[in-house]
Amino acid sequence: MNESPAPNQSASSGMSTLDMGVGATLKALLKHPDQIVVQLQHDKKGRLITSLLFITIACLAGYGIVVGSFSGAEQLWAAPVKVTLGTFLSAFMCLPSLFIFSCFSGVDVKFSETRGLLYAMLTLNSILLIGFAPVAWIFSQSTESLVFMGTLHLVFWSVGIWYGLRILYHGLRDINAGNRGHLDVWGFIFVMVALQMSTALRPIVGTSETFLPVEKKFFLAHWADCMRPNN
Amino acid sequence: MITRLGNIWSRLRILCRGEADEIAIWFEESSIRWPLLCCGIITLGCGCYGATIGLWRSPLQALYSGVKFPLLMFLTLLTNSLLNGMMAQLLGLGLTFRQTSLAILMSFTVVAMFLAAFAPISLFILYNTPPLTAPSAVSAHLFIKLNHVVAISYAGITANIRLYRLLTMLSGNHKRSRKTLFTWMTGNLFLGSQLAWIFRPFVGSPFLDVQFLRDDAFNGNFYENVLEAMKQLLS
Repeated sequence: MNESPAPNQSASSGMSTLDMGVGATLKALLKHPDQIVVQLQHDKKGRLITSLLFITIACLAGYGIVVGSFSGAEQLWAAPVKVTLGTFLSAFMCLPSLFIFSCFSGVDVKFSETRGLLYAMLTLNSILLIGFAPVAWIFSQSTESLVFMGTLHLVFWSVGIWYGLRILYHGLRDINAGNRGHLDVWGFIFVMVALQMSTALRPIVGTSETFLPVEKKFFLAHWADCMRPNN
Repeated sequence: MITRLGNIWSRLRILCRGEADEIAIWFEESSIRWPLLCCGIITLGCGCYGATIGLWRSPLQALYSGVKFPLLMFLTLLTNSLLNGMMAQLLGLGLTFRQTSLAILMSFTVVAMFLAAFAPISLFILYNTPPLTAPSAVSAHLFIKLNHVVAISYAGITANIRLYRLLTMLSGNHKRSRKTLFTWMTGNLFLGSQLAWIFRPFVGSPFLDVQFLRDDAFNGNFYENVLEAMKQLLS
């Protein structure tokens, strides 16, 4: 059940599983995610991890520039910083609980494999965000509604995270998951943390005199305030 | 040293996964190392999480709660150990007193590991909660309490499901293990609620001073207060 596959071959595509440069990683994430999962179980996965992190940072920063283009000025650098930092902070905060929830689900997984799958989740999310970037930019340039743009970015992010969670669950299933209920709970927690992180790091779409907010607010309270007619 | 740490880590993973057939083997060990390690994990895990419970009120409350939370777990286990052991024997589970305490200690260890992993998220929630001096401090206080109740309940339920599976593996009888677990839980919850009452505060009211124990800690009990609150609600 837990035998390692042939070191250099993946059953699905015949591609080398050790040659995980940026290009190969991108292709594998979109077309053959099982390659990623197999490679993450090897000891020599440093190159894959580096590729995943590089792609994630590049894509998130790129999407952050698109987000910041709505307001322009300082947001052109502040938004990419916040989007990238916020994503990684949310992920690292939830990583210990992901490992525990995986164990609760009966998954016999190492901490390093869990971390690798989490990176894969973030990378797929960020790749999809880059795919949405042109659409987001068009809307950024053609509307002045902060609420509309914020909602649009959230919708795009939700699509990305849905596919990201799917690769995470599939990866853990392939390492022999039993009950998925605990992983669903973790997915919910991660989404809540990420949404709250976007509020903690506001403004990301709009502008402000300070880099970070002075007042503490919960996500829903912040959105309710934004959607009030006088705002 | 590295191999020993690796073995410990492997055991903790097996414990979290709830692999009853593997865990059952540990009951045959006479060494005190594993129970001591469980005590260490509970102290660290519950201590870290306890600190996040009290941190909203003040750093001093965080220190107090970090000390009291593991103490609460150990006192519940110790005070009820005789009763739990007797009930296990009366209900036909066939476990010794030592094995009974070890089983419950291991379920507390699962709780501690979950809470330790949840501590970063708890800190983040705290970061985003309006502070003590904010106008919404009362609702913030309630929100924090609710968060912790949910997290601790989830950990407790998951740990008890694992304990049930373990007892079923050891006894080979679902009915006996269910009765025994129910009895243990009733006793532990009954005592644990009162101990938590005595050890209050954990979160710390925004309107009261930070104290290790309230002045009236041994005056009254949890159930009298619940009854009084219900009477006031209905009147």
